[in-house]
Amino acid sequence: MDGLLAALIFEQGGDLEKAHADIPLKNTNGLWHGSAAFFEKIDTEKKGFVANLHAGHDLDLDLVLKNKSGNVHRAIGLTRRRDYGAVFNSYRMYTANEITWYATGHREQIQSLLSEVEFIGKRRASGFGQVANLVIEDSDNDGVVGLFGEPLRPVPLEMFSGDKSSLRADAAWRPAYWHPMNRTVCYVPAQ
Amino acid sequence: MNTFEFFNQHFGRHLVSQEGEPYFAAYRALSSNHKLVKGTESRLASGWAIVRPSISSVQLKLAATGLRFDERTRIEAFMEEFEKWDGIEPRMFLMFDKAPIPLENLFLTVDRRLVRICSPAGVETFDINKAPTEESGGIQKAIWKRK
Repeated sequence: MDGLLAALIFEQGGDLEKAHADIPLKNTNGLWHGSAAFFEKIDTEKKGFVANLHAGHDLDLDLVLKNKSGNVHRAIGLTRRRDYGAVFNSYRMYTANEITWYATGHREQIQSLLSEVEFIGKRRASGFGQVANLVIEDSDNDGVVGLFGEPLRPVPLEMFSGDKSSLRADAAWRPAYWHPMNRTVCYVPAQ
Repeated sequence: MNTFEFFNQHFGRHLVSQEGEPYFAAYRALSSNHKLVKGTESRLASGWAIVRPSISSVQLKLAATGLRFDERTRIEAFMEEFEKWDGIEPRMFLMFDKAPIPLENLFLTVDRRLVRICSPAGVETFDINKAPTEESGGIQKAIWKRK
């Protein structure tokens, strides 16, 4: 939930620091009180996407490793298709009727951020993860530990007060979740 | 201890200098050439490694004194490690290929119910005790077949 809200704040202002600091959720020692996404998958399949990277637009050659004479290893053309870098990415796609998150935070601000959302997820720009409806309800779950002591989100070992027999994994516990430096050994949800 | 500190302490430091941030040192270990026993140099471009808090094992014959050379196949090595492992001390299961393993694919394994095999192509995650499904990856299927 915190990752989704941070992404929405970032889309509004383009300020990464602000996006990670202004999430309208309760925060305890850096841990946001927002759960992972819980859903019941009714179907799953693999989806592949091919992107042809136009070197002139998509690559900053200053960032590419150079050979001994100071040039890039292979001349990158800008006109012919064979000079483009074709990248194939495959994703596991789950079909679900609804997704549930648990959180403790500022209800109105969360509602305001989420009300404009039409698509969520990694391939939202390609039409996947369409949001049909949004409902916010009261809950006894705080977004960190469930009613039976189970973790509702990745929680670092030393910060977890729930059931210590829960699943453990090396996982990111704060946004940006894709960044490996935000990983540590955590108790994680079983889903 | 985070992923990169563990990797460097028990594997990377035997191959490259540890200057700078831990993730840079891990990147150098995975992408640089290393001296082999036969005298030539090679990247970690084939075989496998298991990183442990005690001595780590690697299939490539590296001229590194702190690592143990192990000629078993990756399936044999991973399978036997799963059988011996107490499930408490962290492990890293690595499979090398032509491209270096990207840093985002490096994960510790800290639970027998959520094992992670790291490779350049991605991360295979599974429960050691569960039978593979159609969606499962190749390592889980191969290990289960041998049980």
